[in-house]
Amino acid sequence: MNIHEYQAKKIISQYGINIPKGCIAYTPLEAKKAAAEISFRGPWMLKSQIQSGARNQGYFLEKKAGKKGGIRLVKSRREIVQEAEKMLGSTLVTVQTGPKGKSVGRIYVEAFKKVKKIFYTGLVIDRMIPAITLLIADAKDEEIVNLAISCPEKILRIQLDLLTGASPEQIQQILEFLKLKPQSAKSLETFVNGLHQAFVDYDAAMLEVNPAGVLPNGSIIALDAKLTIDDNALYRHKDISLLLDEYETEERELKASKYGFQYSSFDGSIGCIVNGDGIALAAMDLIRAKGSDTACFLNVKGGVDKDKIAAGIKIIMTNPRVEGILINIVGGFLRCNLIADGIISAASEVGLNVPLVVRFEGINKDEAKDILENSKLPIIIADEMEESVDKLLQAMEESD
Amino acid sequence: MSILVNKDTKVIVQGITGTQASFHVKRSLDYGTQIVGGVTPGKGGTTHLDLPVFDTVKEAVAETGANVSVMFVPARFVKDAVKEAVEGELDLAVCIADGVPIKDMLEIKSMLKGSKTKLIGPNTPGIITPGEARLGVSPENIHRPGRIGVVSRSSSLTYEAVIEINRAGLGQSTVVGLGDDTLIGMDFVETLEQFMADKDTEAVVMIGQLGGTFEEAGAGYYKNLCDKNKKPVIGFVAGNAVPFGHKMGYAGDIITKGHVTAQDKMDAMADAGMIVVNNINAIHTELQKLFSAGC
Repeated sequence: MNIHEYQAKKIISQYGINIPKGCIAYTPLEAKKAAAEISFRGPWMLKSQIQSGARNQGYFLEKKAGKKGGIRLVKSRREIVQEAEKMLGSTLVTVQTGPKGKSVGRIYVEAFKKVKKIFYTGLVIDRMIPAITLLIADAKDEEIVNLAISCPEKILRIQLDLLTGASPEQIQQILEFLKLKPQSAKSLETFVNGLHQAFVDYDAAMLEVNPAGVLPNGSIIALDAKLTIDDNALYRHKDISLLLDEYETEERELKASKYGFQYSSFDGSIGCIVNGDGIALAAMDLIRAKGSDTACFLNVKGGVDKDKIAAGIKIIMTNPRVEGILINIVGGFLRCNLIADGIISAASEVGLNVPLVVRFEGINKDEAKDILENSKLPIIIADEMEESVDKLLQAMEESD
Repeated sequence: MSILVNKDTKVIVQGITGTQASFHVKRSLDYGTQIVGGVTPGKGGTTHLDLPVFDTVKEAVAETGANVSVMFVPARFVKDAVKEAVEGELDLAVCIADGVPIKDMLEIKSMLKGSKTKLIGPNTPGIITPGEARLGVSPENIHRPGRIGVVSRSSSLTYEAVIEINRAGLGQSTVVGLGDDTLIGMDFVETLEQFMADKDTEAVVMIGQLGGTFEEAGAGYYKNLCDKNKKPVIGFVAGNAVPFGHKMGYAGDIITKGHVTAQDKMDAMADAGMIVVNNINAIHTELQKLFSAGC
């Protein structure tokens, strides 16, 4: 689960990390008040709170929002109201949001900080070690992802001890890598180990400060913050769960996640229901190889609740982009008959208007096939994955 | 023969009294698996499915001589369950649960380091040696005894691989699901090592998954084997149709390793001398080619 920049900043500031003074605003008036509270004189930063990187390079879909990006520097109080009016309620598109963009519902108003230098900091899990790994780069304008692909040697990688964080030697190593003056050492240590402790305490899957800045006095300051909490550990962080911004997640994905399922959407026309990532991807590869594409898939994982499965199937059946449904289930933990029951109750509730091919294998598969056959629904049955894709594409062609 | 488990393996079940555990333990018993007891803290001294239940793994081991456990405990209790398995000095623990927090897995991995216990999973269907022992939740009815090993990081595609082997008219020596999670116990290298040394395994089907570089590591190990220890490996990794940048799996992978695609993984496997297929349903034809003389 992701949280907003201002929420992540509040968390890391509890660990002694410097952040610019800031306030959240939902209306232009609140933005003006926030600015007054932060400082008597500007400039201030107005930062769109959507969960995406590269907001500064993004653009708004609406003309009224003007040509500037999602992060704006303002100098006067009057300007704050004007700019906040333009940004709030408008749709910000970035390289990460996709062409539909995300609606800006709140703005973080922050004091503008002059810095001598900026750099990238990220904490991730390197699963091959495995350990929490600190990534540092002299990022400047370059995207960290591009850097990771084109010049990985420009990223400093430091393995952190789960209990103790970075050692003094490691801090020294970072200091030299970034060519910082010795006066920054103490602040750098607070910064790195604060991030590490926040990462551990909050069960993070990823924590990025991009960029961090070096103030004229040598102190390190977090100019941005992005925190992703490990979904599997959310039960330990009830306070964080409350921060979920439902507008950030596609409606169907959100619905599916409430039932414990995973929903992913793509650009094609076939809806897949599967019980595993691997089987989903293998089906997608086959669909692509045969000249079509996947609209979405629903992974019901090891679901054992009949009603939840039916609700999940409805999410796919009611997706207007879906022109054919492919169900590939190999039962183990999940038993095939539960899926069969789910298909029937979903179809009877929302109707089955597109071709549906089902392939069952594994635990209770015969029982499941009987259930479908007795239902009299126009369901096509296949025995192998490739055959199921062939049969669906053929049925879709015929129904055109 | 086989790897990791066989008909002589004495198995205990951690979390035996749960509903899902009961369903699958019954099936495993019917399959002939030597399940000798269960562990559920607080229920020691009782019996479940006619098996003795103990409070701790240590007690269960002392009383039954078990050396392997299968865990049906919920994700949030997995860390404690592994700790018990390590303290009980089990050879192997198989963790079925999905959704174990990453931080818990980091702690689990350091617990396992230096212990004699190997972990399979979490988020695995388990391990099965057809005709001998079933540990976990895999659909036993699709398996046939034979001489092809299976090792897979994708639970669902494990079954597909098994079905493909059957289609080729062959069977499985042992089928190992490594687990779908971000962090897992045993990996491809350790499992391939065992298969290469097992005299009853003649070839291996290896199924990879997006995320991490486990497949590359497995390929690296295989490439460096000397020819006399090398058995054919048929490899497959799904995920070529996933568009670049689509959020699937763990986002941190991209900035740690650069974007690693399914094709990158398959290229590494092919470069190591594995037979790579790009359609899961092509596995059986490759197997038929390998064993056209029959085996």
